Amino acid sequence: MRAYLTTLVWGLKSICVSLWVTLRYLFTPAITVQYPEEKRVQPLRTLNRHVLTVDTLTGTLKCTACNLCAVVCPTRCIELTGHGKGKERRADTFFIDHNLCMYCNLCVEVCPFDAITMWTRIDELSAYTRSGLVYDQPTMTATTFYPSPMTPERPAGVPERVGGARS
Amino acid sequence: MSLLANRFEPNVLTHSLDWLVNWARKSSPWPMTFGLACCAIEMMATGASRFDLDRLGAGVFRPSPRQSDVMIVAGTVTEKMAPRIKTLYEQMPDPKWVIAMGACAISGGPFYYDGYHVVKGVDLVIPVDVYVPGCPPTPEALIYGVLTLQAQIMKTTLAKRPEG
Repeated sequence: MRAYLTTLVWGLKSICVSLWVTLRYLFTPAITVQYPEEKRVQPLRTLNRHVLTVDTLTGTLKCTACNLCAVVCPTRCIELTGHGKGKERRADTFFIDHNLCMYCNLCVEVCPFDAITMWTRIDELSAYTRSGLVYDQPTMTATTFYPSPMTPERPAGVPERVGGARS
Repeated sequence: MSLLANRFEPNVLTHSLDWLVNWARKSSPWPMTFGLACCAIEMMATGASRFDLDRLGAGVFRPSPRQSDVMIVAGTVTEKMAPRIKTLYEQMPDPKWVIAMGACAISGGPFYYDGYHVVKGVDLVIPVDVYVPGCPPTPEALIYGVLTLQAQIMKTTLAKRPEG
């Protein structure tokens, strides 16, 4: 009889302890991010879709079609062609296949002119077809300032919006 | 729904019924508990309290294919797993959709050129409705994929049934 009552008291106590935890969490603010209406503030170096950055002085793409990003890419998802020689060289076509991209940032790190960046916060990329995930040069050309590894903050003289000129 | 499918053109009656049925279908796309690789971690995070896929009605992860509507293929589909995925897809009841989550499920991803053991895209095995890129996709990206799927569900009609 005594053992039975002891067990009963312990059971009631444990129920009270667990319900107290529930009661405490009832009055704390919810941590759920209401995603489609409210976006989580992501860190600066979150890797998202690529953007080809634009030279603010000339309004053209910084890319010189040196092919380094296509060579270093582990999944071989970058494909580009260009024309011209030396510093005058410019890209004609620039395709990134996001079916394959593994978001490793190697193409950004290898680029000698900071012509490509992944710190873009463009993460809503779902598509109904696989061809809808292959991005070309006009789609990826920057229309605003995007941070790059050398310039994580917007410099003083650079406007917020830059002309999305096609080179 | 085979009583209605492909028997007449869409008219005012089917449009009203379509809205009701599609609203009911898109409000509870129960996914299957189906994680294959690291994308499953992000899928668990999406179902947990921070992002809470249950706000879209898609948070009830069912352990059985017979109770689920959406198959979220989260991760690398190996050659050995492909016949099992096809079996599980065929066991799902008919209004069913597939989300290919992550680069591996979409196209093989990092294993596309050099892998000998990975299916080059789960759409070679089962039909895929929505592709969510990322390696792995963030919980936001997966929720956006579910929203994209809901937009697609609202466009379907009972009068016409796609072939295959």
